[in-house]
Amino acid sequence: MDLIEQFENAARDAAATVERLPRSPEKIAVAVGRAAPGAQRIAVAEPHGLPAELFDACRRLPGVFAGRSKIEWSAAEVGITEAFAGVARTGSVCVSVDQGDTGYASLLARTHIAVLASEDIVERPSDLFRPDRLSGKGLLGNYVFVTGPSATADMGPLVRGVHGPHHLHILVLV
Amino acid sequence: MTAPPTPALDSPRAIANKSRKSALLAAIRMALRVEGPAVRRNVQSLNRNRYVATAAIPNYEALKNRAHAIKERALAQLDELIATLEASVTRNGGHFYFASTAAEATRYAAEVCKRRGVRLVVKAKSMTTEEIGLNRLLEKDGIEVAETDLAEFILQVADEQPSHIVGPALHYSRERITELFKRAFHTDLPLDTGEELTKFAREKLREKFLDADAGISGANFVAADSGTLVLVESEGNIRMTTLLPPLHIAITGVEKIVPSREDLGPFIELLAASGTGQPMTSYTSVISPPLRNARVITDGAPSEREFHLVIVDNGRSKMRRDLVLQEALYCIRCGACSNCCANFQAVGGHAFGGETYSGGIGGSWEAGTRDIARARFSDLCTGCSRCVAQCPVRIDIPWLNTVLRQRISRHDSSAASRAMKQVLAGVPAADAGASLQKLFFGRYDIAGKWGSRLGWLANGMSRLSVTRRLLESFVGLDRRRNLPPFASSTFIHAARKRTPRSGPAKAGAARHKAVFFADIFTNYGSPSRGLAALGVLEAIGVDIVVSEALPDGRAALSQGMIATAARQARRTASRLAPFLADGRDIVVVEPSVLAMFRLDYRHLLTGEDGRKLFESLRARSFDAAEYVWKCIQEDGLDAAAIFPAARSSRGTRLFYHSHCQQKTIGSAAPTEALLRAAGFDVITSEAECCGMAGSFGYKKEYYDLSLAVGRDLFGQVQLAEAQGERRVIVASGISCQEQLQAGMQREVVHPMELLCELLIEVVQPVGAVQA
Repeated sequence: MDLIEQFENAARDAAATVERLPRSPEKIAVAVGRAAPGAQRIAVAEPHGLPAELFDACRRLPGVFAGRSKIEWSAAEVGITEAFAGVARTGSVCVSVDQGDTGYASLLARTHIAVLASEDIVERPSDLFRPDRLSGKGLLGNYVFVTGPSATADMGPLVRGVHGPHHLHILVLV
Repeated sequence: MTAPPTPALDSPRAIANKSRKSALLAAIRMALRVEGPAVRRNVQSLNRNRYVATAAIPNYEALKNRAHAIKERALAQLDELIATLEASVTRNGGHFYFASTAAEATRYAAEVCKRRGVRLVVKAKSMTTEEIGLNRLLEKDGIEVAETDLAEFILQVADEQPSHIVGPALHYSRERITELFKRAFHTDLPLDTGEELTKFAREKLREKFLDADAGISGANFVAADSGTLVLVESEGNIRMTTLLPPLHIAITGVEKIVPSREDLGPFIELLAASGTGQPMTSYTSVISPPLRNARVITDGAPSEREFHLVIVDNGRSKMRRDLVLQEALYCIRCGACSNCCANFQAVGGHAFGGETYSGGIGGSWEAGTRDIARARFSDLCTGCSRCVAQCPVRIDIPWLNTVLRQRISRHDSSAASRAMKQVLAGVPAADAGASLQKLFFGRYDIAGKWGSRLGWLANGMSRLSVTRRLLESFVGLDRRRNLPPFASSTFIHAARKRTPRSGPAKAGAARHKAVFFADIFTNYGSPSRGLAALGVLEAIGVDIVVSEALPDGRAALSQGMIATAARQARRTASRLAPFLADGRDIVVVEPSVLAMFRLDYRHLLTGEDGRKLFESLRARSFDAAEYVWKCIQEDGLDAAAIFPAARSSRGTRLFYHSHCQQKTIGSAAPTEALLRAAGFDVITSEAECCGMAGSFGYKKEYYDLSLAVGRDLFGQVQLAEAQGERRVIVASGISCQEQLQAGMQREVVHPMELLCELLIEVVQPVGAVQA
């Protein structure tokens, strides 16, 4: 099994949804529409590793907001961010938390859509702590391993969707 | 004796401080009555998940070694690391503060909040802030504190201390949470499902997140070289706490510091798997605050981010200087030792825990951050050792608790009583604090010797109600328990009188030479399993001799009588050494004794010679069934031909319960393999421990708890039999056998007894040709 397939299986085990896409801005925008049909409030965080034009069509989706107020953010339905790395064994995506709005878009929206380039998938979490991997990107930044939607078992049964997103959708660019 | 006063039974806070034994006993009663079912369900589920998750980690054992080595290195150079960390945090643009005491830490945090005009703090789960009592102090200063982890939210509403290091409110069932919220929030909203309760809490807390002036978090790990914090969670509240408010204060213990960012990898992989049993939890943040590039979202004027890291000592330096307790500083707070603990599964951390810390490792932490008397609950550690293999940083938790037990005994006793025990009973000075109860159980060899000599008289006496009352009053032996009857003819005596079974090979030509260690439990309490083992070993051609009967130290060690145990260990090891030199392996039938040779003697046999002796004992001692399985495989024998299960008058369907320490030292799996190879249909128990755990279940204060643990096991037998006919109950440990016999009113046999009954004739080894 290759790393991409292993990643997809592990992400699904963690209750995320995953699909593979070609590197096309339009296809990404269509996938966003499919993942969150009828969404009214969409936050698009600028990518820093992926080419910025990949998110061009997303920025033109109806409902995209670029506001800065608490009220706008608290009503966000979809947050689109890049993921600078993926972890095959755990199905995690790594998302920066201090580049522009990536932290908020991946946390405050009900659905988080993470865009991951397939060549950025590593095998296990500790690979991100090795200086020779991904040109040390993991080692250097402020980021979060996101593994599935937010969840709790504190109220008795397992509930998905707590303070963070209720859904995590991952677009793997091949 | 008068019953101890009963504090308010339903108030966990009232019994959080267990300095007095009465509080511990009240807490056990409360937990069994109120919290037990929810604790059991949640903790056992975490336990099952951990086994699955850790089995999936590539190089799991090597990863644990690495994690242990990193912690060892970090603690050795802690002073330098603190200086490096301070420089890193300052370089990142944050503020660093080292707090020697809980009071210094809380005062610092309160002052930062006051200076910034903070009215509302959102707080992420942190055991360290529980330990230092942060909330109370902030609230006294008029600052509102909102606990945002849903479990901590429940505890804040209920005003209770955490009952588990990872799942602080897992003693609450969904029904009890509904009841609590309806009462506390005077609401008629439907709150009858996990989703409804979560939504209710989320909406309350979303407002707090957006309004908060400050976020206070802990940290799971801190890298000194970069000032990087790792924060592990599932709900997203820690991310909110560290990202939304402009002011972030992280408060954590000095033991969380590791040298470099590269050291974080192994811990990230181990923590989630060992804790909640997931490959990763939903969110693992890796941040070096302040997060300068993330704008603060605000409706008012743009505000600058500010970050403070408060590193708390509060007793940890003292723990570091303590040759035993220092190991507790390796703890990464995953809770695995709680989850795999049979006693913890039954009562949870409101009984098996103190004001902050709970479970196996909790006693060391309460002793280290408060005082030794607060560690009294560590008496619930039976030394079953199940946690030893589960700890991701390889802390020998039972050993820590044994040492705590010795120190608590000393703390509880008067100098006069210690002097008397030294003089009258020859108890070593270090153990002279032991109570009469501990002396009675710790020197089972003495009781056994006299019990056997007096034979029927002792057994008859021990069944009389007057004797039981006396034993209960003086040594705390519960009158509802039957002491295992003393053998009127000891194992040694019976072994001498028997005619050895002639094996396939003549003595001298045997491929396997061994000495059977006559442990005191077999010698005085259960000679039949020892005799059966001799028969089985001889039948497969082992040249076997019998050692003298010696106390190995297990009984003493389990009572915290370490000096006595060490003395007995040295004597036993020196008597076994000539056998080893003669090329004989050591065969043991009692798993708790074998565990001494394989695990515990490393603490008791010290010095260069002691270490060498321990290494050869560890490598060359075997459980009887394990040894039989090893010989059979080496000699190419057919187990089904030697022990044809179909011949058993008991039937071929078994329920096998392996002893807790047997599982840890790896001799359970070979026993099961042997029984299956003989042709038995074997269902194995999933219980971590039977609940008797040596002397634990005999003690009057723990009888009910022991039985509650046992019911799990009894239920598993019933479940196994619900799908078919009755099964023969088989157990390897003498106390497991007693627990099952008493709880199920059924006969329980040892694997060796079962196999010995099947021997028909002398077996010629097949393919046993020497190379």
